[in-house]
Amino acid sequence: MTFRITCPVCGSRDVYEFTYGGHERGPRPAQEGLSAEEHFRWAQFRTTRAEAQEEWWYHGAGCGVWFSMWRNPATNREERPEPVDARGTGPTTEGDGE
Amino acid sequence: MNRLPATPTQKIDHDRRIRFVFAGRQLEGLKADTVASALWAAGVRTWSRSFEYHRPRGLYDLEGEGASGLVSIDGVPNRSAGTTLLERGMTIAAQNVSGSPDRDVYGALDRFDRWMPAGFYYRLFHRPYRAWPFFQDRMRALAGLGRLDVDARHDPGVRTEWYMNADVAVVGGGAAGMSAALAAAEHVDRVCLFEARPWLGGHLDWRVREVGGRPLRERAIELARQVAGHSSIRVLTHAPVTGVWGENLVTGFQVGPRGDGGATEGYDERHWECRAHTIVVATGALERPLVFEANDRPGVMQVDTAWRLARHYGVRPGEQIVFSTADDLALEAAADLADLGVQIVAVADARPEGLDGELAARLRDLGVELMPGSAAAAVGGRRGVTGVEIAPLEGGQARSFPCDVVVAAAGRQPEIGVLSSAGAGFEYSAHAAAFVPKSLPDGVFPAGRVLGLTDVEAIEASGVVAGLNAATACGALARSGSGDGESRDADERALGSAIRDAEGRLAGLPGPAAGSGHVRGPMTGKGRKAFLDYDEDGTWKNAAQCVEQGFDVPELAKRFGNFGLGPGQYRVPGQNLAMAMAELTGRPVGDIQCTTVRPPLIPPSLATLVGPGHDVHKRTPLHEDQTARGAIFRQAGAWKRARYFSDDFSCREEIRNVRENVGLLDSSPLGKFRVFGPDALRALQRVYISNMTAVGEGRCKYAAMCNDTGNIIDDGVVTRVGRDDFYFTTSSNRAGGTVEWFRYHTRYDGWDYNLVNLTDNLASINIAGPNARAVLSRVTDSDLSGGAFPYMGYREIQVGDSIPARCLRLGFVGELSYELHFLASYAQHVWDLLMDAGAEFGIGPFGLEAQNCMRAEKGHIIIGTESEQRVTLLDIGMGWMWDRSDTESRKVGAPALRACADQTDRLKLVGLRLDDTAGRKSPEGPADGALVTAREEILGYVCTTRYSESLGWRYALALVRDGRAERGTSVELFQDLGDGPRRFAAMVVPPHFYDPDGARLRG
Repeated sequence: MTFRITCPVCGSRDVYEFTYGGHERGPRPAQEGLSAEEHFRWAQFRTTRAEAQEEWWYHGAGCGVWFSMWRNPATNREERPEPVDARGTGPTTEGDGE
Repeated sequence: MNRLPATPTQKIDHDRRIRFVFAGRQLEGLKADTVASALWAAGVRTWSRSFEYHRPRGLYDLEGEGASGLVSIDGVPNRSAGTTLLERGMTIAAQNVSGSPDRDVYGALDRFDRWMPAGFYYRLFHRPYRAWPFFQDRMRALAGLGRLDVDARHDPGVRTEWYMNADVAVVGGGAAGMSAALAAAEHVDRVCLFEARPWLGGHLDWRVREVGGRPLRERAIELARQVAGHSSIRVLTHAPVTGVWGENLVTGFQVGPRGDGGATEGYDERHWECRAHTIVVATGALERPLVFEANDRPGVMQVDTAWRLARHYGVRPGEQIVFSTADDLALEAAADLADLGVQIVAVADARPEGLDGELAARLRDLGVELMPGSAAAAVGGRRGVTGVEIAPLEGGQARSFPCDVVVAAAGRQPEIGVLSSAGAGFEYSAHAAAFVPKSLPDGVFPAGRVLGLTDVEAIEASGVVAGLNAATACGALARSGSGDGESRDADERALGSAIRDAEGRLAGLPGPAAGSGHVRGPMTGKGRKAFLDYDEDGTWKNAAQCVEQGFDVPELAKRFGNFGLGPGQYRVPGQNLAMAMAELTGRPVGDIQCTTVRPPLIPPSLATLVGPGHDVHKRTPLHEDQTARGAIFRQAGAWKRARYFSDDFSCREEIRNVRENVGLLDSSPLGKFRVFGPDALRALQRVYISNMTAVGEGRCKYAAMCNDTGNIIDDGVVTRVGRDDFYFTTSSNRAGGTVEWFRYHTRYDGWDYNLVNLTDNLASINIAGPNARAVLSRVTDSDLSGGAFPYMGYREIQVGDSIPARCLRLGFVGELSYELHFLASYAQHVWDLLMDAGAEFGIGPFGLEAQNCMRAEKGHIIIGTESEQRVTLLDIGMGWMWDRSDTESRKVGAPALRACADQTDRLKLVGLRLDDTAGRKSPEGPADGALVTAREEILGYVCTTRYSESLGWRYALALVRDGRAERGTSVELFQDLGDGPRRFAAMVVPPHFYDPDGARLRG
């Protein structure tokens, strides 16, 4: 398996240069009142869907930035889903900030 | 030797003889011979036996298409005779042979085919099930191809690797591929052309037929000259492609010119990978074998085999040759061989009509009997061919022709391997009687015979079209021109019109010629020995059996009947299997799909995949010094580290000197980081499980990181060097992942902090032992007294006259010790200062193993040695580090620790004291990893165990199931290292063996 990833800093590079950080599942939940099940669901569970998803990648052999991008794991192509509504809740491409 | 006179098409050098050994006989070939051509020229007919029936096999193809042509060369099995160049002194052995190739012990298996129907090992031998192990042993002894001498030392030679980038990668160096490369190279800068044979030219290379007034091979030479002279085309010959992977990564290997031992640096074979924007696939065509009785006899061969034997290697293929073929190229071959003085007895052509009139007339002029609508039904002869029966395909009397070689083919099939591995789909063309590309992945452009084309000009024109399209698709339009809109528009128009011109030209040329859809000759029997697949002895009868059993499509027959599972994969049985399934089931071929082709398309040797075996490591700034002091190095993570300083691997002297005196350790691989900025503390609070607000001025804080399952993943010390400025260490193995880890766990927060990895910038020297203070005070004016600089203190000191060093007073080995961190360029100087200052004490270096023994005696853990993925911070007795009160920071690992805090039956870290009788007199004992057992139940395992001179007994740190090993209980350690089971008695004790109160390190 091999494909290319577009780093927002360095551009299109071989996937070998990156580390996968899992699909987007939101920031670390607040600890107050967090049940063990909620924690492990957030920390461990991975969706496996054959459709475009937002993912985290780390460009370890390049700029050292974590960024999120949309990719379809079924085709390994960078691909955005059809917009769901008109509010513009589009995918983020920047690594920093929520 | 049976050679033809020299002609310009020949590759061999008649004056340079090469001696080699085959099956114990001294033979001779010529320079540039392949193993197959040399063997055939020397009169050898059988050089392997078939997989199942042990039938004699030898020369069928010259392209490495299957197991029949595999031999063992100099002890390396499964080398392709057809593609391996002959070398002086080679010792070649026949494969899958017991006895001699001509008289094989298992040859009698050939008569037992009734008991070996398709899928017989799935259907027999398993009832009663107890019988299976018996049959398994016997079948395993018979199965497999080639024998590897596991005791032999094999010199793999020079194996290198090469990684390329290209705009357009062209696979195949024939007329189509070369035309594509030339067309593309006019518009893009980087074209790579890969050709499996040692030369360019494809099937034009040896053809002397005149088209447009000049021999085809001159056209090939002309194209090759242009390609070689083009500055934008990189050519790799003798470089088979093994596969195409995601987003147009092309991989393969290249057989190299060996170095001359001097200025020329050669290689035996190299792995290469080419990342291309677009790919042109011009892999040409293979022959589709004709199925008839005994079509595997040595002497039955492909058209191009006979033709290339004569044209490339000057070898007379046979004395009397009969053709049973089905295309004009075969007619051309027959006429050409006859012109070279080879006797062609008859040519049967499966096509009843549509034969090239000029070639047919030429053959008749040469006195060759031409039989349209006929094909071979069977060959006679046991070890070789003695004759062939030819019969009309529509019924009629068979005729026998005595001959020693039968050139047989049912037609041509596009070589779809590369296209298929790129993800193309195929459909059956009834006109061409072949599967041709139907759906193509992005950026892949086929050209030439792989499209079914047969006309030479059309093949070239299709290459131009593919090359221009490939250049366009990889962005030639976007990049061409000087950048201003007008000239770019002009370039765009020029490329667009070039493509239109090329497509127009191609449209005016002939498309694929009509092919013969026959798979079989006019056989009379069931096809018991009529082979669809030579590799696995898959016969026509086996295919029929597959259909009877319900495995009636190629993908099923492949698994059940083993068609195409051998080294040849899709090549020999490929399209025939689909066409046979259609015939056997009465369905149209168009409803049937060929089997999927998978890489490696051509098997590379394992040595090439292993590669050059670079010893990749980092060296500390003290590497040379440690080497001079007799250090024995071991790889530890990314580093080469001094592990021992003598060949006493128990490190008795090194340990004694630290425990009683003073020693120096090069600890430079330690992870060293600076984190600073307004939010640095928040980042530390997030990733460390400890309370990082409590890092005191001039103090070191021992702290740990956990992951989200509560496993401890790192430990180290943190110091505060400024208001929002911290310096911390990580374990050596963790240094590389620390930046990634920090940034991952703070990626949503937008915090303002900077993290700098200083591991390689700074050296670190650890001075340890009761005399450490005395030695260090001689090289610094700073106050090192216990009151001024206590245990776990941190000071910025000056070493020597001018070297600033960060000094941490720690105690990993359990003695008074200081760790100095300073710029790596000073490492040798600081080391020398300390060695000189310590000379009167008898200071000496110690290595990683001595440190490991001493820290384990002290009960200090190493992450990954005394911890693992089932073990949390709490399990190893370090729960005191966890700041439970802090929920605000959302510490990584805190929720998991909370969730498992009250769990029982977990692995816990314990100490073990081994029975004195086992330990005292002899340091012998169990090894790291021994099992901890009680009453035959496994309770855990030993992480580290050593005999301690300091303690006088053997200790172990072990992970043992909670509640099963209270202090004071007796357990047993069990190990079997292959020399029989051994047991050792041990008692559970606290995991701090040496100086449990820490008096020594606080002193």
